[in-house]
Amino acid sequence: MIEFRGIKKIYQMGGHALEALRDVSLNIGKGEFVSIMGPSGSGKSTLMNIIGCLDTPSEGEYYLEGRNVAGLTFDQLASIRNRMLGFVFQNFNLLPYATAWENVELPLLFNGKNAKKRRERVAELLKAVGLLDWKEHRPSELSGGEQQRVALARALANDPPIILADEPTGNLDSHSGEEIMGLLGKLWKDGRTIVMVTHDDRIAARSERTIRLFDGQVA
Amino acid sequence: MNLTLPRFFLNEFRKRRKKSALITFALFWGTLSVLLLLAFGRGMTSQFRTSFSGLGENLIMISGGQTSRVHQGLPKGRRIRMVPTDVQYLKERIPEIAVIAPESYNGWPVSARGKEINRQVHGTTAEFADLRTQIPQPGGRFLNPDDVAKGRKVAFIGWKVARDLFGAEDPVGQKIVVNRVPFTVVGVLQKKLQDSMYNGPDADQVYLPFSSFSQIDSQPYLDRIHIQPREIGLSVLVEEQVRALLGRMYRFDSGDKYALSIWNTIEDAKEAGAIFKGIEIFLGIMGALTLLIGAVGVTNLMYAIVRERTQEIGIKMAIGARRRVIVQQFILETLFIFLKGTFWGFITAFNLVHLVRLIPISYEGFGIEAYLLRPVFSLEIFLIFLGIVGTLVFLSGIFPAVRASRLNPIEALRYE
Repeated sequence: MIEFRGIKKIYQMGGHALEALRDVSLNIGKGEFVSIMGPSGSGKSTLMNIIGCLDTPSEGEYYLEGRNVAGLTFDQLASIRNRMLGFVFQNFNLLPYATAWENVELPLLFNGKNAKKRRERVAELLKAVGLLDWKEHRPSELSGGEQQRVALARALANDPPIILADEPTGNLDSHSGEEIMGLLGKLWKDGRTIVMVTHDDRIAARSERTIRLFDGQVA
Repeated sequence: MNLTLPRFFLNEFRKRRKKSALITFALFWGTLSVLLLLAFGRGMTSQFRTSFSGLGENLIMISGGQTSRVHQGLPKGRRIRMVPTDVQYLKERIPEIAVIAPESYNGWPVSARGKEINRQVHGTTAEFADLRTQIPQPGGRFLNPDDVAKGRKVAFIGWKVARDLFGAEDPVGQKIVVNRVPFTVVGVLQKKLQDSMYNGPDADQVYLPFSSFSQIDSQPYLDRIHIQPREIGLSVLVEEQVRALLGRMYRFDSGDKYALSIWNTIEDAKEAGAIFKGIEIFLGIMGALTLLIGAVGVTNLMYAIVRERTQEIGIKMAIGARRRVIVQQFILETLFIFLKGTFWGFITAFNLVHLVRLIPISYEGFGIEAYLLRPVFSLEIFLIFLGIVGTLVFLSGIFPAVRASRLNPIEALRYE
């Protein structure tokens, strides 16, 4: 599903190079639930961004479902993010001026789905996360847990096979965090691949496998 | 309600509209300025044109002069004076002439009901009406061919003459006495703007059939011949032929510019037309520059909005927005801002122009108000305006929009 071969990521910072990832090779199979751990600055986020096609590696090859991602255009990557990957961020990253409904609808709109399909899908998703009654609310009118559930619904909009969660419970109280983890667990049982960054061992313990990063390398 | 991308963008824009209020005002103001400048400019030039043609349109006026060259042994300084038969002579020999009319005049006392005034009294023919835009007020008429053929004692008078002699009363059918001979008034000149003339504006003149005029006038000469060529482009040719024909008849050099005095309003109008066009273009540019200031404001605002919304752009990219979508959004927002500002500017300008047009203007003298108070709002102006606005929307929106779409998704997401 996700295959890294000798991935390097080098940032140019005011003249000197910063190696965020040095020679990372890894394999995440279909339907796996993997957590990525490591101290800050170990390259977790960079790894996630490359998996999420938000960033491109400086060296090495990344195969997503057997397809080499290197050399794809911005719009091709956008299409992959739209259909194959669902993002859940620590700070939710919902659009502040849009309602819960609109936030969930937007990926469908970008995917060119017609109005009827969008309506059915958004209703289905909001119902699944228990927020159908809150569809007209804006993010600022929702609690953190509710916002993260909207974000999860949005991540699932185009039914992607992979969910990328970057510290999904980092900003939540334990009860809401538990809810989100429950939902992620359910998605995994439904056959989705879950990749999650966390620094909480108890959260990581919910996954099948933990990849530990240290200084830009798999430890 | 179905969400579509434009509707979604419009929603987002609406929620932020307070931030663009000042820019909207600048656009409103710019639009108002452009449209008013164009409308008043157009109105001014069209009033100029009307009053310029108040004397007559496409008109060549010929009167006698004095030779300035020795010709066929004759000395220079000879006086050249035309006679009434020259009219027929020219008409028969110059096929490019469409209309031709003679004119002679003399200053005489004109009286009615015990009032007496001194006015220029002209003798001419029916064709004069077309040549010199002598439009009668309702209920009256200009001199007709019959009047001239039969030497009727009828008169056509200017509106000021009518007022001076008859006050508010209708002069048509009334008697006036010209140089001790009674004439019946058949028509009064309608008010018109006129900025070029000889012997004062047409409002102050009295016109008699040429034949009747000749009976009370002692001199055998003709003061002026009016010619309208078949086409504007023929005016110079007609002028040359007149010089050649009359030169042969009165024995002067056809190249002698002083032997005949020729006033070619067509050539004047060409020059004036260029000046008017120049004024209009100048005003248009002034207005466009004003609007440009608004557009610069919009560009600035759009850059600020792009910066402020960097994170939102990142989010949209993360969930699969293509570059085109990001560009579209900012172009559309620019368009919304422009529409809001220019719409109200347009409405205001439109109403102002039509309000100003309601103010009455006087046709006496040459008050500045006659030129200023008749702004014109034409389709052409509207199209020019749309062109300017369209270009500015594109220019002020495209750069911020492209910048937004070129953002790195990661950096955009992290932007605080």
